[in-house]
Amino acid sequence: MTWPTAVQEIIEEFRDIDDQFEKLEILMDFSSEVDELPTSEWTEETLVKGCQSIAHVKVKIDEGNVWMKAAADAKMVQGLQGILTIAINGNSVENVLQLTPDFAEEAGILNSLTPSRSNGFRTMFDMIMSEVRRNS
Amino acid sequence: MKEDFPILSRQVNGKRLVYLDNAATTQKPQCVIDAMNEYYSLSNANVHRAVHTLAGEATEGYEKCRVLLKERFNAPRVIITSGTTESINLVAHAWGECNLNDGDAVVLTEMEHHSDIVPWQMLAERKAIELRYVPVTDGVLDMDIFAASLEGAKLVCVVQTSNVLGIRNPVESIISQSKNVGARVLIDAAQAVPHEIINFEELGADFMAFSAHKMCGPTGIGALLVNEGSFSEMQPFMGGGDMIETVSLTGSTYQVNEHKFEAGTPRIAEGVGWAAALEWMADLDLENHHNRLLQIARKVKQSLENRGMTVYSQLADGDSAVVSFTHPSIHPEDFARLLDAQGIAVRTGHHCAQPLMERLGVTGTIRASFYLYNDETDADFFVQGIDRVLEAMA
Repeated sequence: MTWPTAVQEIIEEFRDIDDQFEKLEILMDFSSEVDELPTSEWTEETLVKGCQSIAHVKVKIDEGNVWMKAAADAKMVQGLQGILTIAINGNSVENVLQLTPDFAEEAGILNSLTPSRSNGFRTMFDMIMSEVRRNS
Repeated sequence: MKEDFPILSRQVNGKRLVYLDNAATTQKPQCVIDAMNEYYSLSNANVHRAVHTLAGEATEGYEKCRVLLKERFNAPRVIITSGTTESINLVAHAWGECNLNDGDAVVLTEMEHHSDIVPWQMLAERKAIELRYVPVTDGVLDMDIFAASLEGAKLVCVVQTSNVLGIRNPVESIISQSKNVGARVLIDAAQAVPHEIINFEELGADFMAFSAHKMCGPTGIGALLVNEGSFSEMQPFMGGGDMIETVSLTGSTYQVNEHKFEAGTPRIAEGVGWAAALEWMADLDLENHHNRLLQIARKVKQSLENRGMTVYSQLADGDSAVVSFTHPSIHPEDFARLLDAQGIAVRTGHHCAQPLMERLGVTGTIRASFYLYNDETDADFFVQGIDRVLEAMA
């Protein structure tokens, strides 16, 4: 899989780290990349279901480019949202729709991305993609 | 004891595995793995019907599990099920459908696992029965409200040991008060049987449900213990092979023993594995282990409280070694992932007990649950792991 340069750099940054704890610390640092969705905009539609934490995402298409806002109470989920923000924000609909959710696995951040009930990340990713498709 | 459990010698994320998710499932000793492997390698056949040698060996291996369960728990009737959930659903269908009538009350508690709430809610959709919930006050069942809720009750369903808090409920008193009003009693003993030897007949409950996998046995198998009186009131719920005596095109007759409730080919290898686990456990001094683990859990509780955590488990004498806690600002999921990165396995979330979470005023907790093979070293690694998380999240 070829990733956008920014995502590829993130994957390589994670790959260089052996210690899983350090990986998660760096993941949490990406929370600062999130364009925060204020609680006043949280709705049933923005809620990511199946997440252990409370997570919301909202997608907007502006002149053919995708922009996402997000929020979560768990720092790790915020970090994943931060990486998604880097991968998505300002990119064209066409490019965004080519993304797949396995970059987190590729980078060794999450143990598994099987769509199980505890894997809110996969749900969040699928939700963003379906919003992009719906709004484009 | 760790040497009996091959999985405990593996590493997770480059660290020694510290397995503290025993309330979810326990690890399996080598003898259980060997027994199941040997069964499939040498004796695999269907049980009960065929006359060939393999069928005989398979039947003997599987039925040994029932014999050992009857002995261990002093139970007249042992129905083999897929686990606690199926056992409780079996009571709802095989006993509840034909013995509960419109207007009858079933008493439950806020401390129940979802598997002891949902089957009764589903039955309440089919019959006009009333469900009464005994609340949890200050972390324990409100026994005054329990006593008041017994009026007109036909069935009382209560968890012996909470999977979230480790609290052991006063089931002896609950059973005796229930019997005084003529109510039947179902005990969810999934978290109790791994920690104590229960004399079912002496305890006086009508039904008791539990799973093998929480006591070093395989997943996918469990049991429902039933006394003779309640057994005679149960009607077959699932029809099919193995549960019949005769079948004709105009009707069927059923077995009279436990097989009546065990339609279809049973979990033979799992039964063989559970028998091996029961034999392995028979040599252990459970009370001694219980007390040892409780001491470890109390020490951990103190360490967590010293570090600003809220611990919901009280760890009274009869309670199991479960430490359920939250941090004022660190999300349980972050906590668990950072512990996992250090090879420490704990559980987070609502633990399939959302009403109890609501009562505790939290959406989830982090739960460290200790079992036979855990020791002081595991507790030390756990607390060190906690410290690293706190440092990283400061």
